[in-house]
Amino acid sequence: MLIYALVAGVLFGLYFSLVGIGLNLVFGVMRIVNLAHGDFLMLGAFVAFGIVTLAGIDPLFAVPLAFVVFLLVGVLLYWVLVPRLQGSVNPEMLSIILFFGLSQVIEAITTIFSGTSERSIQSRLLGTVFSTIKVKLFGGKPGPAGPVHIFGQGFPAPWVIAAGTSLLAIALVYVYLYRTRMGTLTRAVMSRRDEALATGIDVDRISAAAFGIGLGLAAVAGVFAPFMFGSVTPAFGADATVTSFAIVVLGSLGNPLGTALGGVVYGVCYMMVQTYLSSWADLLPYVLLIFILLLRPSGLLGRRVRVA
Amino acid sequence: MLKVTGAILAAGLAIATQAMAADAPAEIKVGTLYASSGRYASISMPVYNGLKLWADQKNAEGGVYVKAFDKKIPLKLVSYDDQSNTATAATLYNQLVTQDKVDLLVADSGSVLTAPAVTIARDRKMFLFDQTGTGASFFAKDNPYIALMADPASTVWPKPVADFLIHDGPALGIKKIALLYSTNEFTGTQANAFRQFIKDSGAPIEIVYDQGVPTETTNYTVIINNIANTEPDAVIHFGYAPNDIAFLRNVQDVGTKFNMLFCIYAGLETELLEKNVGAKGLEHVFTYVPPSEAEYPVNFGMNMKEYRAAWNKAYPDGKVEFGFNAVAGYTTGLIVEKTLAVATSLDQLELRRANFSLSGELKTLDGTYALDETGGQIGELTPLGQLELNEHDSDHVKFVSIYPHETATGKPVYPRP
Repeated sequence: MLIYALVAGVLFGLYFSLVGIGLNLVFGVMRIVNLAHGDFLMLGAFVAFGIVTLAGIDPLFAVPLAFVVFLLVGVLLYWVLVPRLQGSVNPEMLSIILFFGLSQVIEAITTIFSGTSERSIQSRLLGTVFSTIKVKLFGGKPGPAGPVHIFGQGFPAPWVIAAGTSLLAIALVYVYLYRTRMGTLTRAVMSRRDEALATGIDVDRISAAAFGIGLGLAAVAGVFAPFMFGSVTPAFGADATVTSFAIVVLGSLGNPLGTALGGVVYGVCYMMVQTYLSSWADLLPYVLLIFILLLRPSGLLGRRVRVA
Repeated sequence: MLKVTGAILAAGLAIATQAMAADAPAEIKVGTLYASSGRYASISMPVYNGLKLWADQKNAEGGVYVKAFDKKIPLKLVSYDDQSNTATAATLYNQLVTQDKVDLLVADSGSVLTAPAVTIARDRKMFLFDQTGTGASFFAKDNPYIALMADPASTVWPKPVADFLIHDGPALGIKKIALLYSTNEFTGTQANAFRQFIKDSGAPIEIVYDQGVPTETTNYTVIINNIANTEPDAVIHFGYAPNDIAFLRNVQDVGTKFNMLFCIYAGLETELLEKNVGAKGLEHVFTYVPPSEAEYPVNFGMNMKEYRAAWNKAYPDGKVEFGFNAVAGYTTGLIVEKTLAVATSLDQLELRRANFSLSGELKTLDGTYALDETGGQIGELTPLGQLELNEHDSDHVKFVSIYPHETATGKPVYPRP
């Protein structure tokens, strides 16, 4: 039971790293709180529904599509909303109100078009591209992938695919931040926005890119939401935002890579609580939030954000 | 003298009739809530749409007959969106009573969103038409302000599945049971009742796993592994529709096979579950047989076939699924209509008297409307069934009624292949 809970926790937690990383990137660069983060995640799930319903192909193809679409949406939204917000007296507080409103609008519009019922995608459809490649290379018959066995125990294949995608996304965020010129500039803005502005960095361009990437990552996480949470409704966003915040604060607010650690810690703790104290599992995000704020307010990787 | 007396009587009658007509309201205000978003939207919207369908139908006919005024009066459905939030629901129930001054108060769907209404109705002395809030704590001998319209009390629901396990289980080899439930009034009460039925029976059955999880749980992989470690012969899961979707999907995903698997909403909202879990994932699952699968003889309102046709016509976009809850909303409407046709005034205790007088007499598409002394529903029973793949359409499942034996249409498939 313990090993199963630990492995499940790591897989689940890696996925939650992906859920939170975009939110942290946006906060780190712009110091604004995107309360509509979970709603973009929900919209990512609807991209996956669209891919499966309209094209009838592996929902994995929704990953690049959702990322590109919401990258562009993010950049556009940035130019419409954020510069005005940054010019206000208290942008952090106003961002909470503004993005809460945006969250409500997104939920309402999605409800009008899709209804309120739960929606999901059959698990066997995720990753069919891999089995097709396998059949082409090694022969055999295509069929449902079934569970993935780790330490002799079965885990849902979508979890492993989601965890793998999360690792890839985290690695790409790392490469972007630490191996590209845009990333260096992004870190400069994260470190001292006013100084970055004074040195001639085009802060708005960097911020727009970060906002777009943040939303793109949320949408990618959303593609896997129907597999990780059973189903998705237009109201799914609010819960996802709360959990994202817990993970972001746990890792370190303003440090996107800290979110990776925060996600894994959250995932393992969640599975352990579900195993031994199942009735209390839903309190976990709040309990972790209180503990981390009391014991280490800067988060698990809090020191690094200042050095970055 | 006779002429004078006659004239006085006639004048008195005319004045009385005019007074009665003048007192008759222009509309009967029916206040209710619905959840267009949030966790309970999928059980609330079908109920609300069913109630609305009834109200629209009646208004198209000129209203409902109200005995208190001896005339047909149009209905006005005063409804607000509680967004699945109990605090919002409490505020809105109060608003319906104090601001809108509705004539009749109808609760939202499900025990969680009905709970605030029970307290408010009692405090404000309003008779609550409780649609599907089945929590055992709602019904007490000292609370005359509630009656359950469209499904049995939670304590009655699990009786068929418990009886099946007690009477047929040991012969089938069922000796160990795992019990998993969501910790809310509806499913928590069912779990308590089920546990008690098993314990009281003295049957050679042991509950080897007994855990509650938060209603918001959407991930059961670790729990399924924990249950599998106890090697149960049967797994009983009491949860809401999103819980059942996540649970059944996780069972499929981890490749665990339980010999017997029971879920509530596989039967109650089969269309929704088919869409989300797939017919294959529902195959051989035990569940309650809803009224939409039974053709109960009716003495009031549409029968199931007619109602289904009316529903499809009213809601052709299919955004809200037809199922148990869709039937419940329409059933509530029928009971409200019949209550108004019997009550001699709109006084809340008179509404109660009228409503209780229907017990055992009224037969709707939901079965026989019968109340116990506390207002709990005891007539619309839920037999135990099992879902099998439809041989003509493998994307859909069909019901096989298993227990009680008198109404059974087939034998259980056990163990699950």
